[in-house]
Amino acid sequence: MAETHSLQDMRQQAAVAAKVFIQRDYSNGTMCQFQTKFPSELETKIDKQQFEETIRTLNNLYAEAEKLGSQSLIEGCLACLTAYTVFLCMETHYEKVLKKIAKYIQEQNDKIYAPRGLLLTDPIERGLRVIEITIYEDRSFSR
Amino acid sequence: MPNSAGKRFKPTKYIPVSTAATLLVGSTTLFFVFTCPWLMKVISPAVPLYNGLVFLFVLANFSMATFMDPGIYPRADEDEDKDDDFRAPLYKNVEIKGIQVRMKWCATCHFYRPPRCSHCSVCDNCVEDFDHHCPWVNNCIGRRNYRYFFLFLLSLSVHMVGVFSFGLIFVLHHREKLGGLHTTVTMVVMCIAGLFFIPVMGLTGFHMVLVARGRTTNEQVTGKFRGGVNPFTKGCCGNVEYVLCSPLAPRYVLDPRKRPHVKIQPPFIRPDLSDQQITIKVSDNGMHSTITNSKSKSSIDGLDGKETQPPLPPKADRYNQLKGQLTSSEESSLSGKTHPSTPAMYRFKPSFGTMPKVHYHTAGEKIVMPDGRKNSAILEEGVRSDYRSEPNLDLPEYANAPLHRTFQSSPHQLDADPTNSHTLSLKQGHRRPEKGQLQALPPQTVASTAYKGVFSPNTLSNRNGSLSYDSLLNPSISPASANECMAHRGMPSMGFHSPYLPTKMCHIRESEIHRQQVAQTYSPVMPPRGLGRQSPHLRDREPSPVRYDNLSQTIMASIQERKEKEEREKRQMLHGRSQTHIYVQDSGVFDAGYGPPANASFLDGPRGHGSRGPTPPAYGGSRDNLMGVGLANYGQRTPVLRHAGTTLGRAPRTSSTSLHTDHSSSNSSQGRAPSHEGSYRSPTHKPRSPAMPRSPSYSHQKLSYISAHDRTDSPRLGGQRYES
Repeated sequence: MAETHSLQDMRQQAAVAAKVFIQRDYSNGTMCQFQTKFPSELETKIDKQQFEETIRTLNNLYAEAEKLGSQSLIEGCLACLTAYTVFLCMETHYEKVLKKIAKYIQEQNDKIYAPRGLLLTDPIERGLRVIEITIYEDRSFSR
Repeated sequence: MPNSAGKRFKPTKYIPVSTAATLLVGSTTLFFVFTCPWLMKVISPAVPLYNGLVFLFVLANFSMATFMDPGIYPRADEDEDKDDDFRAPLYKNVEIKGIQVRMKWCATCHFYRPPRCSHCSVCDNCVEDFDHHCPWVNNCIGRRNYRYFFLFLLSLSVHMVGVFSFGLIFVLHHREKLGGLHTTVTMVVMCIAGLFFIPVMGLTGFHMVLVARGRTTNEQVTGKFRGGVNPFTKGCCGNVEYVLCSPLAPRYVLDPRKRPHVKIQPPFIRPDLSDQQITIKVSDNGMHSTITNSKSKSSIDGLDGKETQPPLPPKADRYNQLKGQLTSSEESSLSGKTHPSTPAMYRFKPSFGTMPKVHYHTAGEKIVMPDGRKNSAILEEGVRSDYRSEPNLDLPEYANAPLHRTFQSSPHQLDADPTNSHTLSLKQGHRRPEKGQLQALPPQTVASTAYKGVFSPNTLSNRNGSLSYDSLLNPSISPASANECMAHRGMPSMGFHSPYLPTKMCHIRESEIHRQQVAQTYSPVMPPRGLGRQSPHLRDREPSPVRYDNLSQTIMASIQERKEKEEREKRQMLHGRSQTHIYVQDSGVFDAGYGPPANASFLDGPRGHGSRGPTPPAYGGSRDNLMGVGLANYGQRTPVLRHAGTTLGRAPRTSSTSLHTDHSSSNSSQGRAPSHEGSYRSPTHKPRSPAMPRSPSYSHQKLSYISAHDRTDSPRLGGQRYES
């Protein structure tokens, strides 16, 4: 099973050293924004600019997801007219952007964070409350 | 109706929803069956159509409100609330649009509830934008399903009004047949509609006001914004728009989906350490050992390009690089001082040449450096080799390798430049081969490990290692190492057996595992001189031997050679004794002899000779500082390095004082030197102890010269090394 395989891979991975949680930024209300403050634990792991760029991009993506635009209006009307049966076959705007976010996080992990021993966790898994950054131990493992 | 996991089946909670569903569907069905046909006939077919659509809408919204996830927050992971559970305050304030909003800690869900979030006791979940728990739908009303609930209320109200109205029309038209079935049923339906009309309309009106004001039922009922301002309002229109038109919020309680597996394997990229980082490390010396360790590791990785070599070699290289930087700076400052040492070095050089240079090639490599930059390059190499020599000192292999190399290089260097360049080259030769050897010889790693064990502040050295970056910034350190090298070199050049000292020392080193001892002897030597700091403590510290090696293979070789010559016979006896003691003595002797003359020539080579006495303390102090820095460097790199660093720090005080003091004096600004010296001392002292007595004077003198040279050279070397 793929899951088993991933477990095996995980066992061979570096051990988790620490976790950093980027909290939500509620200064603008309940819209989904994360704090861009650079945590001290990551000072030696990643550049501040890179980190802030990641968070800012995520914030922009979430803002796009929650935007009250034409697309969301059309979706709502359509849903109403079809007695919400449209949700059975169509993806909502928010879900589309969430997929985009997941892809972005995956790409960031692969390109930037994993080589530095870090792992971003999609905040949707935490209820959009925190961005969890796992710091892995910097030790050469023998696989 | 989402139920919390683990809840047992409670039929009572389904009564309201069942009742509501039954009433709604039943009544409407009756209306359609008994009332609508006449209405369709009499008024218009549009009536049942209209009622049908409304009813459909009601049903849809009712279903959505009942079955949709209101916005349940999944329980927080244990990692997230590790600190919060026991020590966290109950409330956490957050400012939203200028208004302080309190976030309460949820003991069930283990996180601070986001604003507008509340925990539903019926569902046992924290719900986002919690409105209320509606028993009629047996579900919480939250962010995701509030719109459907509101629309349900609206549509139900409309439906009820429609049913009641059309029923009334029917009844009015069938007054004479009130007992008839159709009329009776219609009247029953009207009664039900009329009965629930008031509550439903009341609730609808209430929620219309809430939507207009941008509040939740929870907030309204608990009076959160009674006197104050609602930070969540977007204005009446904005609020209505938000409720009706916002995109459907996502579900948080998702099925465990397969996350794309990301492989994370060290080594990891590290960002370039900024000055600020380095500064922090320095100031936090001792506080952030773990942090700096990681940092140092990272820096080390960065420097090594993520090498996976045994710790020693890469670190040695790194250290050398660092030293290179430092030495380069030192060089410039010490250029003037190298003059006096030149002759000594010059003298010393040939000795190197005579040594069997197993690693000659390595030395040669270094010497390949362009003539124009030879001095600097040489210095760098020397510095590097010093680093290497640290571990080498610890182990025979180490000693051999660096020694040989240094010696080999020295001859070349001699040829290259009789004066400073020679010394420089010597150092380089030492350094490079040492470094190369470190890498080449895995046992060196072991040696370094040994040092590590001895060297207590391993963690410190890690920090120091990170400090090595600092040392990079502070050229004080590297020059120290360089100086030490020079000092060592100076020893041979002192003329004792200088031409052969290095080689001999190399041999001696090889044969001896007491390089450490030799190094240690140096340290003790230092204290007697007055450095005081490094008194025998340094000797005891095994790391110093490492540093001694790092100082410069040439120097060490010369020193050792001297010692060995004198103490060949004693060695066996010395071995019997604690080597440290011997070394101490030797160092003391060495120091004595070395000190004054060495100081004079060494320290004051450029300056004046008599300063030895006073100088050592000065050196010691400076060296201490330097060594502290250097220690950091050392520690970071490898255990050996650490030792070296630490010993350097300490070294100046002890036997190495003579050497180190010279170094330190010259390197006082360099910082690294002391570290080098310290480490340099310990290993060297040990092996040296036999040798020390042999040629204390020589060593002193040579050291002084060497140190002078080293000092001048080290900066350059350091600088170059760093570049390399």
